[in-house]
Amino acid sequence: MKYFKILGVVIITVLMCFPTSTEAQSKRRARKKANIATAQWRYEIEGVGTGREGTYLLKVWSYSKRPDVAIEQAKKNAVHGVIFKGFVGSKQGVSTQKPLVKSLNAEKEHEQFFKDFFANGGAYMRYVSTTADGAVAAGDRMKISKKEYKVGVVVSVRKDELRKALEQAGIVKGLSSMF
Amino acid sequence: MRKIIALFCFTLICCNLVFSQAKKPTIMVVPSDNWCITNNYVMEFDNQGTLVKIPNYKQALQENSELLLVISKLNGLMAERGFPLKNMESVLKSLESDSAEDAMISSKDMGMGAAESPVDMLKKVAKADIIMQLTWTINKRGPKKSITFNLQGLDSYTNKQVATAAGTGTPSFSAETVVLLEEAVLSHMDNFCNTLMTHFEDMAANGREVMIRIKKWDDWESDLETEFGPDGDELSLIIEDWLADNTVNGRYNTTDATENMMNFEQVRIPLYYERKGRKRAMDTRRFIRGLSNYLKKEPFNIVNKVTTKGLGRATIYLGGK
Repeated sequence: MKYFKILGVVIITVLMCFPTSTEAQSKRRARKKANIATAQWRYEIEGVGTGREGTYLLKVWSYSKRPDVAIEQAKKNAVHGVIFKGFVGSKQGVSTQKPLVKSLNAEKEHEQFFKDFFANGGAYMRYVSTTADGAVAAGDRMKISKKEYKVGVVVSVRKDELRKALEQAGIVKGLSSMF
Repeated sequence: MRKIIALFCFTLICCNLVFSQAKKPTIMVVPSDNWCITNNYVMEFDNQGTLVKIPNYKQALQENSELLLVISKLNGLMAERGFPLKNMESVLKSLESDSAEDAMISSKDMGMGAAESPVDMLKKVAKADIIMQLTWTINKRGPKKSITFNLQGLDSYTNKQVATAAGTGTPSFSAETVVLLEEAVLSHMDNFCNTLMTHFEDMAANGREVMIRIKKWDDWESDLETEFGPDGDELSLIIEDWLADNTVNGRYNTTDATENMMNFEQVRIPLYYERKGRKRAMDTRRFIRGLSNYLKKEPFNIVNKVTTKGLGRATIYLGGK
């Protein structure tokens, strides 16, 4: 009898833990997929306004089967976009910007640096923040297929500090580097 | 001991090679003639029946606080990029105080003033190697206001536009002009710096682009068509050969050539030269000194005078000092 009681407690505990673990696993899988999407440039980025001095105000559209992961990934995509992709001003008065890195092979040439930089919770977090606490406007969360959402988040990227960090790492040349 | 000295010398040479830097161009923000005339900061004078308007920078800087704000913002942003600019207002003030000092100074022994030729006087103007020419216009449509902003980086010697950023800002009902101007500067500065960086990268790869002029004094009995050497080449061709041998990849253009003068544009000079085993930064003066010395030697024996203008323009006068 005592044996059955212990077995019962164990089963209940396992059953209670199972949904949580599935939830965590699902999120981890979604995050992994989102990271692959970032590496494959699968995101859209546009300038939505002139930010404060030293910043860009951007809207980043990210894809994921989980909206919360897409919102998180928007930060990473924003920094990735500013470094490698550049962006187009979406309305009059917002200028189109070229990427900080000019060389097409920069990502491969400095593979380890960018691997660490864009790791989950990596240094990229220093240079980006969401505006309005990451709240997403009503029209900016779209279900584009059965299993995927496209979410647009407005973020602010501290581009001057980001550029300085890349200059220090020897990835980007400063304006006065040759003088 | 010998080993230590050798190591010391090696380190010194390495440091010298690593830290040797090209000559840094000076940059200054200047309001465009268009802006000065539109805002009525001009001086007018009659030049033989033609009314000529020239910008009055001093008045513009003293009276227009929007201009000061934009210059200050641009200076700040460039300094933040490690490239502080020359401030036009300070340069104009320095020129005035230098002139006053030159006029008053006299030597202790004979009471003589400082020597100054008319050319020296002409050269006493505010100048920089690259001019950031600034223009903006305020567009109004009903209650809406927007700003069209145009920033051009102009090379003072080649007269080429080496950097640019231009565009029209977001129209606004309520924002003040100064806020719109600040926004325009912030939004265009990165593009300007990007194009300027492209210019510097081109300079690093292909050499500094400069302009060289050759002229002769009136009283010199020879000219640029005089033949020299065993092959009997004309002097103009000999000069072109020297340029082809000493420019980066032999790049230069002969724009004009007569018996009295030659103009060379797009002359690409190297950024460095070596002297006493040390790498040093090159400018047009140093580069043209090579040609000057070449012409002084046998078989030419041409006495000549070199004058320069900043980093990128030089003239050789043949036939005397």
